[in-house]
Amino acid sequence: MTAPIKVDIWSDVQCPWCYIGKRKFEAGAAAFGGDVEVEYHSFELAPDTPVDFDGTTADYLSKRKGMPLAQVEQMMEQVTTVAKSVGLDYDFDRVHQTNTVISHELLHFAKSKGRQLEMKERLLKAYFVNGEHVGRIADLVEIAAELGFDRDEVTDALTSHRFLPAVKADVALAQEYGINGVPFFVIDGKYGVSGAQEAETFANVLAQIAAEREAEPDSAHERSDKEAAR
Amino acid sequence: MTNNATGSIKIVALTPLGDAAAGVCDGDFCAVPEHHTQAVVNKKLDEDLV
Repeated sequence: MTAPIKVDIWSDVQCPWCYIGKRKFEAGAAAFGGDVEVEYHSFELAPDTPVDFDGTTADYLSKRKGMPLAQVEQMMEQVTTVAKSVGLDYDFDRVHQTNTVISHELLHFAKSKGRQLEMKERLLKAYFVNGEHVGRIADLVEIAAELGFDRDEVTDALTSHRFLPAVKADVALAQEYGINGVPFFVIDGKYGVSGAQEAETFANVLAQIAAEREAEPDSAHERSDKEAAR
Repeated sequence: MTNNATGSIKIVALTPLGDAAAGVCDGDFCAVPEHHTQAVVNKKLDEDLV
């Protein structure tokens, strides 16, 4: 038995291509059909964003980038159309532009409970589809409680910022890898795949790695399996 | 697909794979690749919106 293929994904909650890329990766992994183990890592696209920005996402990007509002709106419309093609109903009119660092802390809290993937999906949906606020502790506690997490435990984790070092460690790791943009997929610890690739691309990469493993029967994975069996 | 809760990762130089023009967010700017832009225009044409 070979070990699952490990996929480390750097992503931000407010990254539109990350949610689209998540869907495409999931489709690719399903098409591949083998065992895949996913771990999400924190990446802050705009760490200096205030928790409460008074304005729309288009206003925010227009101000930050000095781009005409119409150009930003056109860009958002295009992303919305691409999102729709993978079954996601982005609603930028309702998005609360915010600082996502505490939502990353919540993701690490969920990871400590073995439920990171579930939380990742819920937070992306909260931000892009539901128009929920993902920067305030009270709102994040509500989201976590809805998923069945203990309200007091989540509140304590977020107010104490117990998981902030883990968030910062992920960001530092991204820098070590030279990751500048997200989503970014590190597959089997050696291949770097940047961006919301097509599902077929992900499936091909995973199949390639599986084939490489088969071609090297005495690979580290096989050895670890043998050691585990002893 | 399973959750993973381990934290240790050995950093090695990564081999890049995939389409270099895939949609990605860098800083707070999320560029729309050209092929997506054309696809959106095509869709609008199909829907008689242009």
